[in-house]
Amino acid sequence: MARIPTEFRALAEVEIHMIALLAVLHVVSSIPTLGSLAKEVGGARVEVESLAKGYQDPHFVEPKPSLMLVLNRADLLLHVGLELEIGWLPPLVLGSRNPRIQPGELGNLDCSRAIPVLDVPTTKLDRSMGDIHPQGNPHYWLPPANARIIAREIAERLQQLDPDGQAEYQRNLAAFNKRVDAKTREWAPMTAKLKGVKVATYHKSWTYVSHWLGLEEVGYVEPKPGIPPDPQHLARLIAVMKQEGAKLLLMENFYNRSVATLVAEKAGGKLLTLPTDVGATPEIKDWFSLVESVLKALSSSV
Amino acid sequence: MKLALLLLAMALPAASQQADAGTPDDLQKELEKAIQADSAPPAQGEKAPSAPPAATSGSSGNAPQTLPRGAQSLNPDLSVILDGVFGYERRAPQFLSGDDPDLGAQGTSHALGFMVQEVELAFSAIVDPYFKGEVYLTIPNLSGIEVEEAFATTTSLPWNLQVKAGSFRGAFGRQNGQHLHLQDFTRRPLINAAFLGADGMRGPGAQVSWLAPLPFFLTLAAEAFSLRNDPADESQVQPLPVASFGADASSRPTLAAEAKAFFPISEAWSLTSGLSFASGKSPGLLLADGIPAGAGRDSQLYGVDVYLKWKPANVSLGYESLAFQAEAILRHLDGGDGIPNEWDGGAYAQVVAQFARRWFVGLRGDIVGVPSSSVLARAGRLGASLTFQASEFARVRAYLDAERASGTSALLPKAEPAWAPAAFLQLEFSMGAHGAHPY
Repeated sequence: MARIPTEFRALAEVEIHMIALLAVLHVVSSIPTLGSLAKEVGGARVEVESLAKGYQDPHFVEPKPSLMLVLNRADLLLHVGLELEIGWLPPLVLGSRNPRIQPGELGNLDCSRAIPVLDVPTTKLDRSMGDIHPQGNPHYWLPPANARIIAREIAERLQQLDPDGQAEYQRNLAAFNKRVDAKTREWAPMTAKLKGVKVATYHKSWTYVSHWLGLEEVGYVEPKPGIPPDPQHLARLIAVMKQEGAKLLLMENFYNRSVATLVAEKAGGKLLTLPTDVGATPEIKDWFSLVESVLKALSSSV
Repeated sequence: MKLALLLLAMALPAASQQADAGTPDDLQKELEKAIQADSAPPAQGEKAPSAPPAATSGSSGNAPQTLPRGAQSLNPDLSVILDGVFGYERRAPQFLSGDDPDLGAQGTSHALGFMVQEVELAFSAIVDPYFKGEVYLTIPNLSGIEVEEAFATTTSLPWNLQVKAGSFRGAFGRQNGQHLHLQDFTRRPLINAAFLGADGMRGPGAQVSWLAPLPFFLTLAAEAFSLRNDPADESQVQPLPVASFGADASSRPTLAAEAKAFFPISEAWSLTSGLSFASGKSPGLLLADGIPAGAGRDSQLYGVDVYLKWKPANVSLGYESLAFQAEAILRHLDGGDGIPNEWDGGAYAQVVAQFARRWFVGLRGDIVGVPSSSVLARAGRLGASLTFQASEFARVRAYLDAERASGTSALLPKAEPAWAPAAFLQLEFSMGAHGAHPY
């Protein structure tokens, strides 16, 4: 009789050791793309979950209490920062009762910390300018240069949290960067086609993509960030698009299409609804397929 | 199979390494001991341990680029919220919450005019690695500054625990915890002033809450308040109600407990439900002849609330959303002074529908005095609101309601006239830091 408990104990020890060996860090990201990049560098040492879905507007995520449960289990929280998630993430983090991911802790990574931020306001701010982000534009995760920075930051943080995995994280990061190099070469014909193309966008969220591809933004459907358009503004936008010869109107696939469709049509152009996050459509499974689908949609429309 | 696993584990270098270094538990204990020794008075012959690396040390080698990110400041986030109204009411409302618009109607006379329903100053900041601090000062109806809430919340307690201490709104149902600007209607539900007190159940105290480690969201909260507000001033022609549940009880604290669960039914639908309990002294009036109309009687509150919401994950198909909310309170009043043990209760239910990007319409039905008691007559109210949300930071609301005092109680005079319609146009705006939207 005495042998059975011993065997059980041995088995339990084995399981504990196996868990220790796998050292699975539970990473929770605010938006799926950050989680996807964490998976690239974390490999088998991380499991990844996202609070928002790829087809959700990351400004407005319902702060459901069930998300506190997700955060409660997290070892590392990845967020976009620059106040993108200010309307929903802080109360979830506080309510998660998870000391590891509170602001200032190792388990809380603001992924914007090393990003060269664009659209940083240069004049005195007030909200007559709309719902602006005082620290600059937070929609930075599509261009390859920024994805590399995010991946590097995540790798460094994973290393700090899990020093045993350092070699693996560095290996994965190098592999990721190599794959970005290869993909960038593969995408070159598409990106070359887009240089100097004039576009209008719905929200001012394409700045980084335009900067990367050399797109020229001639106007926005939203007169100011977060403020719905009025007819005068739209008439002006249509006129500008016609005058500038802008044939494309870019919009994230989580916005309402009705106004944008009309504007594109009246301007003699085309509305292009594009994914901006992993999981925006079921086929977009990682950062590579995300960027590729944006590039394919853009380059096939010019 | 077991043997194979055992052999595998033995062959694993990581596992054996760990055995060499002792288990992580042992290491943790050793470190804990060292930290304790560090904060204790210095002992002789001890060597200082080398400092661990800073927790948030930046990227090695690749220093983040320095960018103009706006002025860094360690000031708390500050915002100012204003609610102004223009309104009409046929007579003084029977149940006036502290942050309801008070147009000054006395007794049976009507009132018409402007009022600044509330000015709120909100400060919040992370205090240090262990606490978050929040202070909300309010000036309701331009009548002096009050501390609506001022509390610290712990951020680093173990075992899924969180402690809130200071002065705060109690965890009792849904609306009691909400500030005015989170309400979907210009006036709070009748049950607020009738059972929780004009200011709701709030005051200096402490709360411990626990997030249960379950597959679904469940929190349990227990709290104690000490409320030493003055009882109603009986020298006035129209005595003032006691401001909060539990006030006039300096001898023992008010106790409350709440369980709150959340069920994500589908991506768009979700249900929040709670059960609450509180034990303390009831609010109410202290009448001119010394009869306590509720005020100061020991009582227990039993509450239940539900919040059912439908909101699609994005707006690609439209901006519509829908929320149903209902709360009911049952109160037991202890007997004494010739008054018997009594039960009374009340409830409200509301539906708020967003029918366009910036437009919300709401309907609410209220009832109190079901059952009625010697201090609470039956009264009902029907209210409707139409809200235009100009931006995240400003809204304009039209609100209509009609209150009907249908029953009588032994101790209080019947409100006359029985029908009391009211109408308000409300402007609400918020300046400063972008607040988060609670669920």
